[in-house]
Amino acid sequence: MPIQINTAVKGKEYPPYPVTVERGKIKEFARAIGDLSPFYLDDEVAKAGPWGDIIAPPTFPITFRDERSDTGALLRDLGVDIGRLLHGEQEFEHFKPIRPGQTYLCRGRITDIYEKAGKSGPMAFVVRETTVTDSDNDIVALVRGTTVVRL
Amino acid sequence: MKYAKVYAEDVQVGSEMPPLVKPPIQQIQLTRYAGASGDFNPIHQDVAFAKAAGMGDVFAHGMLSMGFVAQSVTDWLGVGSVRKIGVRFAAVVRLGDVVTCRGKVLAKRPPKDGNGPYLVDLELSAENQKGEKVITGKATAALPSRG
Repeated sequence: MPIQINTAVKGKEYPPYPVTVERGKIKEFARAIGDLSPFYLDDEVAKAGPWGDIIAPPTFPITFRDERSDTGALLRDLGVDIGRLLHGEQEFEHFKPIRPGQTYLCRGRITDIYEKAGKSGPMAFVVRETTVTDSDNDIVALVRGTTVVRL
Repeated sequence: MKYAKVYAEDVQVGSEMPPLVKPPIQQIQLTRYAGASGDFNPIHQDVAFAKAAGMGDVFAHGMLSMGFVAQSVTDWLGVGSVRKIGVRFAAVVRLGDVVTCRGKVLAKRPPKDGNGPYLVDLELSAENQKGEKVITGKATAALPSRG
């Protein structure tokens, strides 16, 4: 018997939250992936490089989380258990490098919810978009993710 | 040389990325990635939980595999070159799986103004050791001209 999810949260905007990027967090993230580029890990090499410091890897904005708008909040909004989730799609658009020590503002919202039949049964697709801006109010990155709920 | 500066003139439509072959997935890497990313979904850590959820066993965060795919692009075209990267997660990656990332150039677009970078559109994929696609995707990278 498929479960029901609360589709009324389509369009919901989550409270904006600030994230300050820690130097060590960039390095921990790159090492966890096994990406040992000196432009992520070596302060001295990066200092002489094009940005004058290390920058974050392309998928790093996935670490920008806030308990009011993270997957836990989504689960509460949808009324489903975490074991039902799969990651369907993910996209990052980058407009400026993400740098250590900078504070960014993240604004997330649910842009779409739709259901369709999957290989292993009915599924719901929840699309979230987060806009990341810097202190100049420039858009630094757009993060779009599709979470699949096994109904 | 790895991490050498790459220019727009160095790649053409049809150019293939050097495949990036990652080491076999181990539980410790999933634990490290959980800590690094903040994704502590027990389905990637706890076998009993994964089984109860109907997944058979723990499996890798999709975002870890996407991190591999992004690395394959930056290893080839340079850190900081990625303007856009998007993937679809086609199959789960299990413990012991060896992920290989591949890609090729679909298009190379000249700068709209005289001084801007070229934009290079890539088709990307990642497969496991059985040749099954685990990720399909696309990226756009910005490359300077030798001028």
